[in-house]
Amino acid sequence: MTSKAEIAVEKFLEKTDSEAASFFEACVHCGICAEACQFHLATGDPKYTPTYKLRPMERAYKREKAPFSSLKKMLGLAPKPVTEEELIEWGPLVYDSCNMCARCTLVCPMGIDIAGTISKMRAGYEAAGLAPEGLERSVEFVKKTTSPMGVTIKALSAQIKHQEKATGLKIEVDKQGADYMCTFSSSEIMGYPEVLGAYAKLFDRAGVSWTISSVAYEATNVGVQIGSASLAKEIVTRVVESAEALGVKAVISPECGHAYGAIRFAGPNLMGRQYKFEVVHIIEVIDQLRREGKLPAGKKDARKMTLHDPCQIVRRGGLLKEPRRLLDDSCSNFTEMKYAGKANFCCGGGGGVSANERAEELRTEAFSLKVDQLNGVDGLEAVVVPCANCRSVFEDGLDAYEMDLEVLGLAELVAETLAEPDEKQG
Amino acid sequence: MSFLNFVEGPLFTFAAAVFVLAALWRLIGIIRIGRTKDISPPKGSAAVGFIKGNLRHFIPRGIFAKRTMVHLVGGYGFHLGLFVLVFFGVYHIDFLNERILGFSWPALPRWAFLLTSAIAFSGLIMLWVRRISDPVMRLISDKDDHIGSWLTFLVMLSGCFALEQAHDSLRATHMLLVDIWLIYFPFSRLMHGFTFFLSRGQSGATYGRKGIDL
Amino acid sequence: MLMLAAFAAPIAAQSVRPPGNAVNLDDGIEDGPSNALGDISDTEIWDNFRGGNPRELFAAAPEGQVMTTTGQQWRVVREKLIRKYLGWLPVIVIGLLAVFYLIRGPMKITGGRSGKTIPRFTLSARVAHWFMAGVFIILGLTGLIILLGRVVIAPYLGLEFNSVLASAAMQGHNLFGPVFVFALIWLFIKFVRGNFFQWVDLKWIFKLGGFFGGHVSSRQFNFGEKSWFWMVILGGILISVTGIIMLFPTLVDDVRWLQLSTILHALGAVGLIAVAIGHIYVGTIGMEGSIDSMLKGEVDENWAKEHHDLWYEEVTGKSATAPETTEDAP
Ligand code: HEM
Ligand code: HEM
Ligand code: HEM
Ligand code: SF4
Ligand code: SF4
Repeated sequence: MTSKAEIAVEKFLEKTDSEAASFFEACVHCGICAEACQFHLATGDPKYTPTYKLRPMERAYKREKAPFSSLKKMLGLAPKPVTEEELIEWGPLVYDSCNMCARCTLVCPMGIDIAGTISKMRAGYEAAGLAPEGLERSVEFVKKTTSPMGVTIKALSAQIKHQEKATGLKIEVDKQGADYMCTFSSSEIMGYPEVLGAYAKLFDRAGVSWTISSVAYEATNVGVQIGSASLAKEIVTRVVESAEALGVKAVISPECGHAYGAIRFAGPNLMGRQYKFEVVHIIEVIDQLRREGKLPAGKKDARKMTLHDPCQIVRRGGLLKEPRRLLDDSCSNFTEMKYAGKANFCCGGGGGVSANERAEELRTEAFSLKVDQLNGVDGLEAVVVPCANCRSVFEDGLDAYEMDLEVLGLAELVAETLAEPDEKQG
Repeated sequence: MSFLNFVEGPLFTFAAAVFVLAALWRLIGIIRIGRTKDISPPKGSAAVGFIKGNLRHFIPRGIFAKRTMVHLVGGYGFHLGLFVLVFFGVYHIDFLNERILGFSWPALPRWAFLLTSAIAFSGLIMLWVRRISDPVMRLISDKDDHIGSWLTFLVMLSGCFALEQAHDSLRATHMLLVDIWLIYFPFSRLMHGFTFFLSRGQSGATYGRKGIDL
Repeated sequence: MLMLAAFAAPIAAQSVRPPGNAVNLDDGIEDGPSNALGDISDTEIWDNFRGGNPRELFAAAPEGQVMTTTGQQWRVVREKLIRKYLGWLPVIVIGLLAVFYLIRGPMKITGGRSGKTIPRFTLSARVAHWFMAGVFIILGLTGLIILLGRVVIAPYLGLEFNSVLASAAMQGHNLFGPVFVFALIWLFIKFVRGNFFQWVDLKWIFKLGGFFGGHVSSRQFNFGEKSWFWMVILGGILISVTGIIMLFPTLVDDVRWLQLSTILHALGAVGLIAVAIGHIYVGTIGMEGSIDSMLKGEVDENWAKEHHDLWYEEVTGKSATAPETTEDAP
């Protein structure tokens, strides 16, 4: 019988490629990363130091796989083996207190990608059955309904009807040969269905055709968040097969951070092949259509607004200028907050933290940094949050801190501030 | 053979050989683990990312500078100081010239050498006292960190003690510590002096491939 | 220990060479009745050179005389007084502290630790402190070897060993000297706030700091700490100025400044070392909970209430004497 610890360690070792190995080898224990990590900054607790979160995996590598490890073992100099108790103790560090924001990579003198390594570590936890329960529950939902919140196609159809009425535009499901197939995050469908209407307006105006798949409407990839390759593959495969069956040119990943990376970069590797279509992020699409002149901007929103940069979009997605260009066109009073851009703080709920019930209190504490940022902008009226997951974390967080602030999606804002069809472009 | 001859001669040769071979072994060992080939269509160049990652992390980021000031000052002071000392101190150039390379280059004047030493010492002391006086640092530091700092400090201190060049025993002490340091280096975290380029480079490549400009 | 071992090993195989910059006296010396090496002493010759009043320590060179006697008197002060007696000062301090520790024991936190902490020193303040402590210890040890090696080390471990140590210590001391100036400025900047004397300090003095019982009030720093701070700063300035003069003798144009400098430097340094030992005692084994402030930046609330009650009240807005309430009133 193999113990849980052994299973986890085996997975850790399998996941330690030369990249992770060089991270473990190069970390000089300088502690600078702590100064970047939201969880450490919000709580002051040293255990939230990013590099410390990797300890069990680092130890497994140094004991079993690193150069000289057998020599060191022989001399009794190798680190102690990893135990199950230790893994359980580390669980909250691996799942609850890393939102995979990659802020630590910015400051690390060795450029260590803690976030990427944490996701490898989660694979070990998942394999050993040590992932937190809250996340396991969303796995159950996904298996049943394809969506982590249990959104069924019926619910989606109802929302589509509402939006068709509100906009007067047709939203076609499963349309063969459309230009784009759009995917959504559950919380958009249930919480912010206006997004559907906004898409309809934008694509109608730009004159491109689009559709929603009745099987693969869900973009959230719980498999990636939790560290389960098989589940991640299942979810990606569903989207890829539907898109290829519909013969679309591109699949659009929604205003959701991790979904894009999951399907754009992890997906082909999970499936072992490239797709017959492109994957693009909705912000990229809108930005491109705008620059092609197909989405002329109209009257600007005059409220004082700022932009939250979702980690997966700015640091791990590379979209820094695009949302800003769009905001400049749509808003006459756009003000950046402190640390805006590459160093922006996470909402606190990325990396599966928002789906993890155990982490709720910690997440709220971490949100305090966001509150400070928001309060730093005088007279702020609204914040644009181009990520559905961040958006629901924002709403919970603003509630917890009793703040009154409107939270907007980017596509909705752009759709609302489009020039009237007869209006001259301005 | 005098003790000085021994530590300068055979022991140094041995230490230098261990240093070179073990360091190479370790670097190759890390690279040989390999990465699975990424088949997703790239959005940017991994190779450019590798180089950019290496260069970018030399430059501190403005917005974090205040929080990490002690570390930045200590870190840069120590590392640049040590580099200059080791490669531009007249004693070291002479040694490299006579023993290994067979050519030499201009050395620092004595006052500049002493000033650089003072800076390097200050930097190292700052880095180490930071290690013992902060809860984060106390939590993440291990024996290797302390041994590495102290061994380097003793090498430097013995070098500084030998500055009068009047006593062979002081020179021999410096040399002995240099030998020990060379042997310890490839098996310890001191290796970060070589592994940093792999670590920065590989995360740079991962990001570069995704078209992210960090 | 490690350093000692490192020295002891190679000592067996050692040979002494002239310093790298030494001039070989044999070169260019003509045969003849020369006394260049000074191995023949001729009182007459010296009497002809000498002038001035030997009892005046810092007399000017009298007209027409080649040299003054201050050199000789400086030697007397240094050899007969400083070298002989000054070294006892730290020893006495250690002895007194040991006696105090045996009688009174460490000062415990009344009521034990609360487990709750409040921030006391920032990271940069802590690093500035330990940086100074490190540099001070290196300078202190090397300085004491220079000063006392001949009386403490040479008789037991041999002249040769002492000369090696002295050479090492001298080079080390010279290199770290200027670093001390930097450490001092940094320490001053980080700690001067809160270290100005105030009225509460008078009470502290009357109660003898609470070392012999009784409660004393103080703000961020108590009178003892404030005095220590100013001793470090003022003593440090004295040591720095005199040290720099010795290091760069061309800064002054009269050799007597140099002589005065060595004496003041030694007095200041050893005096400060003696007080530092007391400081280290209180910071470590002497008082429970003190070291936390310098290792973690935070202190236990009960420690703060006991030793820095007024500061505790300023920082937390709570009363230091009220009984502990476990829950904050809503
Ligand atoms: C890691 C740092 C250092 C290394 C690897 C190193 C290495 C060496 C080596 C290989 C030699 C030649 C020894 C010989 O000729 O016998 C040497 C000599 C010397 N080093 Fe260093 N050194 C280091 C740091 C320092 C420092 C910080 C100082 C002074 C502050 C220093 C001062 C000297 C001196 C004075 C000599 C000449 C001794 C003699 O005459 O033999 N070294 N060092
Ligand atoms: C190596 C042993 C030393 C230890 C264990 C030590 C310990 C401490 C501790 C615990 C404090 C904080 C007290 C508080 O919280 O109020 C402190 C403060 C301080 N120490 Fe040290 N110390 C050492 C050496 C030195 C040296 C060598 C110097 C200077 C030459 C120095 C200068 C100071 C100063 C200026 C303060 C600020 C408090 C004040 O204004 O008095 N320390 N030390
Ligand atoms: C700015 C900082 C300093 C400089 C530039 C400096 C420089 C010097 C110099 C040039 C000497 C002459 C040695 C000799 O010829 O006899 C000396 C001696 C000495 N120093 Fe320092 N020093 C500094 C700080 C310190 C400190 C902080 C201490 C004590 C903790 C210290 C303790 C001593 C002692 C005990 C001696 C021996 C005195 C004697 O031989 O008369 N020094 N120093
Ligand atoms: S990725 Fe973000 S949350 Fe995770 S350890 Fe780094 S800074 Fe902290
Ligand atoms: S900043 Fe980088 S090198 Fe420093 S401790 Fe963190 S991970 Fe390690």
